Amino acid sequence: MTRHNRILLSCVYWAFVAYVFVPLILMVTMGFKDSNFIGFPIRSWTLDWYTGVLADTETLTAFGYSVSIAVLSTVFSVIVGTWIAVLLEGRKFWGRAAIFGMTVLPALIPGIISAIAFRIYARYLGIEPGMGAIVWSHAVHNVPFVVLVVMARLSTLPKSQIEAARDLGADPLIAFLRITFPYLVPAIMGASIFCLLLSFDDFVRSFFLGGYEPTLPVLIFAKLKSGMSPEINAIATVALVMTAVIGVWAERFTRRMNKDS
Amino acid sequence: MTYDASAREERGAVAESASDRTFWGRLSSWAPYRWLASFATASPRRQFIILAVFPILWVLTQHLGPMLQMLRVSLTDAYPVAPGVEQHFTFDNYLSFFGDSIFWMPFFRTLIFAGVFTFCTLIITYPVAYFLARHVSPKNRMLLLLLLLIPFWVGEIVRTYAIMILLGNTGAVNMVLRFLGLIDRPIPFMYTSFSMGVGIVYLTALYMLLPLYSSLEKLPKSMNEAAADLGAGAWTRFRRITLPMTLEGISSGCTLVFLISTGFYATPVLLGGPSTTVFAETIAGFFHVAGDQWPTGAAFAVIMFLAALLITTAFQRLMTALRKGDTK
Repeated sequence: MTRHNRILLSCVYWAFVAYVFVPLILMVTMGFKDSNFIGFPIRSWTLDWYTGVLADTETLTAFGYSVSIAVLSTVFSVIVGTWIAVLLEGRKFWGRAAIFGMTVLPALIPGIISAIAFRIYARYLGIEPGMGAIVWSHAVHNVPFVVLVVMARLSTLPKSQIEAARDLGADPLIAFLRITFPYLVPAIMGASIFCLLLSFDDFVRSFFLGGYEPTLPVLIFAKLKSGMSPEINAIATVALVMTAVIGVWAERFTRRMNKDS
Repeated sequence: MTYDASAREERGAVAESASDRTFWGRLSSWAPYRWLASFATASPRRQFIILAVFPILWVLTQHLGPMLQMLRVSLTDAYPVAPGVEQHFTFDNYLSFFGDSIFWMPFFRTLIFAGVFTFCTLIITYPVAYFLARHVSPKNRMLLLLLLLIPFWVGEIVRTYAIMILLGNTGAVNMVLRFLGLIDRPIPFMYTSFSMGVGIVYLTALYMLLPLYSSLEKLPKSMNEAAADLGAGAWTRFRRITLPMTLEGISSGCTLVFLISTGFYATPVLLGGPSTTVFAETIAGFFHVAGDQWPTGAAFAVIMFLAALLITTAFQRLMTALRKGDTK
């Protein structure tokens, strides 16, 4: 009975693996099709779509735009998120629960609503649609993830180390910079890679807060609305490779962090 | 070596006192820093205020601010305000929602779709999480879990497009079916609620899988063994032990997936058709046109947020009640 269950469940698992992988594999493969028309079967193959995309300024510009937005917004999220985490972790004060609730709020708001709220607020603050607005909205949206990761790491910091540093004459700021911060570095790295991914993949906020210049997901969306073509497959593959690279890098960091603690 | 060290020591002795050799030592004896530090740390209270002011201002203005501003805009009759025009307080934006079925049909459709898709995600991912947590050795577990994480790093648009290729009229599924001789002409999967469902389950499965996995992993194996010793069959063990003990994971996974599914915009646009318009598209429509439509859009977004919040809170209450009922 248990044996049968086990075999059945492992079939379910591998079917699920197929479900999550096959569409992506098909998408990458379709970029090699030597035709303007998307669809199976593929009779002749070509590299032209990929070489074309790598030479296409529109795609490369969008790619660079996405990367710079991701990096800038991550810097903001990490600084603010770490600061909030240091305030909230292990401290009891009046209103802490309320601040924590507000901190995680942006992560819980459904995508379209958060995009609309940011759009209205950007108008209120006088931020024009464009790079600044996208960076700002991504930064705010990603702060909760940084806070949660950094708080988890901070809760495992041995208090005795801080006390020892203080006893030896370090003031709180130096104790933070020399003891707490180095201890947090793996968490901060992990969180920032996660933020990079979230920002690079984000569509809905970039779409509503963007100006005329498209980020990579917005560019793919715009092209898709005017019809499918293997060119889009090639562009999407560029985005996919980028996320995979960042993701594998992230995995190394989280593993190192787990080993440390 | 010896020469080097002694030379450095000499120089150090000439230039600065022994304790000041490191960067940190120099910093802490630097006069402006000392003044700043003693000012900031004069009392625990002052120290706390300096630490707390920025985060509190940030969450109030950046996290709560956009939501409050949206609420405020939804209660006005014009936004952005044209010069020379006065802004009035009004409930009309909310009332217009109930006035036209073109508005509330997508609204209810979104909620029903999100509920159904959440349930599908639960049914699909539960056995996967169960397999990973109960039937795989801890050594391989991380590897098999990681394998599932990789596709979820890929963005919303790219994965939606991948589903379009899978389900299109000349897509992979139709090709396989035709190759097997099961169909003569392609089944039109695309632009229906089915294709939307496949896409949304694809996008949200991870947010269900991880909470389920962590709650299943915490469940001690001994409980199941004890039940088996007492003569409980596999189904009874699942129903009486595993399922009640993982209600927490089910509840948080479903909440997360429900909230995320209500917020998709690009996926319904690309995978859905005219008969599957969701509320996100309705809301977005008000923002494509510049000008006076914004307050209505804001009001609709508020309605949707409140509805999603209400449903998830009610759901969590229900799950907590179920959990308590079981432990009694």
